[in-house]
Amino acid sequence: MSDQPIVERSTDIARAAAPPAAKPSASLLDDPRVLGWGSVALVLVGWELTAILTGVNRLYLPRPTQIVVALFDMFAEGRLAVDLAYTLYRIFAGFFIALVVGVVLGIWIATSRRVGAVADMFIAALYPLPKITLIPLLIIWLGTGGPFMLTISALGAIFPIIINTVLGVRQCDPGLVLAARDLGASQRQVMRLVLLPSAIPSIFAGVRLGLGVSIILVVAAEMVVGKLGLGARLYLAGQVLETEQVFAVLIVLAALGILVTKIQDQIDIWLGRWRLA
Amino acid sequence: MPAPAVIEFEGVGLAYAAQSGAPTIALDDLHCRFLPGKVTAIIGPSGCGKSTMLQIARGFLDPTAGRLRFVEAAGRAPAARPAMSTVWQAFNLFPWLTVIENVEFGLRLSGMPAAERRARSKKALAAIDLTGFDEKYPRQLSGGMRQRVGLARALVMEPDVLLLDEPFGALDAQTRLVLQEQLAALVERSGTTAILVTHSIEEAILLADTILVMTARPGRIAAEIAVDLPRPRSHGTAKEPAYGALFERIYGLLRDEVMRAMVGERADS
Repeated sequence: MSDQPIVERSTDIARAAAPPAAKPSASLLDDPRVLGWGSVALVLVGWELTAILTGVNRLYLPRPTQIVVALFDMFAEGRLAVDLAYTLYRIFAGFFIALVVGVVLGIWIATSRRVGAVADMFIAALYPLPKITLIPLLIIWLGTGGPFMLTISALGAIFPIIINTVLGVRQCDPGLVLAARDLGASQRQVMRLVLLPSAIPSIFAGVRLGLGVSIILVVAAEMVVGKLGLGARLYLAGQVLETEQVFAVLIVLAALGILVTKIQDQIDIWLGRWRLA
Repeated sequence: MPAPAVIEFEGVGLAYAAQSGAPTIALDDLHCRFLPGKVTAIIGPSGCGKSTMLQIARGFLDPTAGRLRFVEAAGRAPAARPAMSTVWQAFNLFPWLTVIENVEFGLRLSGMPAAERRARSKKALAAIDLTGFDEKYPRQLSGGMRQRVGLARALVMEPDVLLLDEPFGALDAQTRLVLQEQLAALVERSGTTAILVTHSIEEAILLADTILVMTARPGRIAAEIAVDLPRPRSHGTAKEPAYGALFERIYGLLRDEVMRAMVGERADS
């Protein structure tokens, strides 16, 4: 489990790899945040200038400033906020169902040889299956409403969570289980107070993977069937060649991705206390 | 409160099927008694089943031959299983819990109210000179401090019998010396009943009233040796004339067994 964001760690590596004689002259350019945001700004300015200078049709490539205006308009009308709320609800409600069910199932699979043997076949069959291929079948069964969206979201997240929970529980130091039993823990208490907490870093690795898949699946499902939600808005805007709106929705999705990643980085830091070394 | 029970091994043996399928005998026909208020050390070569004996006494493993009995010290009437707590070589502290949460883990399981278990845990930590580290996590402590937390976690349960499974085996030599003396003082002060599994002859003599010397696998008891050196003991006790004779005797018994264990390991591999 990493205990700091990947970006900062890689700069640590870069710093360690740099020859000691190379003293930093410009301190601003050593700050990863300045470099990160600065390069984004540079790309945007370049884009804006290129679009103005070449006079490219805004149907193909709108200028960043036009996209920002479209983004504000969409929020001002209130439609985009509603779409965002729907998408967030679908992602996280489904994801939390997957989290609870997946962790319970994972502990069960890891601690019971029989359940493990049964589950092994099903997981081997279902885990590698691209969940997006289940959309037609799920629509036949569940229609295109809320239950469908929650199911597709939960399906995306549950397998990485189950697999990582099983892994985490199986990797638990047997000495900790013995110590808990020595202090009077029942089998259930061992599960709840030793196996579960010791598996948390691994479970969180599964959460990271699973949440990513949930986001992809919900947006994809919205593009196929939705009238509401970011995926639907993206698709409908594309249909009528509202290219600025397409970009605006993409920006919202990218911002959502950044937010989720940064929160996960913070949780990773907090999880540092699980390390024994 | 009834007097704590004597733990008796009556012809205890443990056999298991090895990977090849052939039965392997780990422990063979052990007869020994662990008396209340006394420290009994079990010493022997690697792989002789010392720690397995602790697991059997604790009830985590059932012997495949013979039996384990608990009897009253006077009269030998059957008694209840005494309460036991273990101190582990690898410490086995829960890394996600703070020092104080580790110490009160057992009390929490028994349903003791939070305020009371917190107070008892603080007292247990103070008894081993570890105040001011309550909110630290195990990884923030040195090995010696971690094992003192392990000791506090076992002692706070107020066990009838303290099981010490090579408690200082993972520590550096100097820390080990200091903790050995601390434990000796603690045992002498409180009259704890303890079973100590160790590789170290010095540690066994420093702490124990009785030393069981084990043979190489299959583990049998080669000798039961009483340690009559006066208490309180410290590492300075090594200057006593009787100490040298005792050390020589145990080492003489162990040397051949250690050689046999090494030959056995090579034959196994």
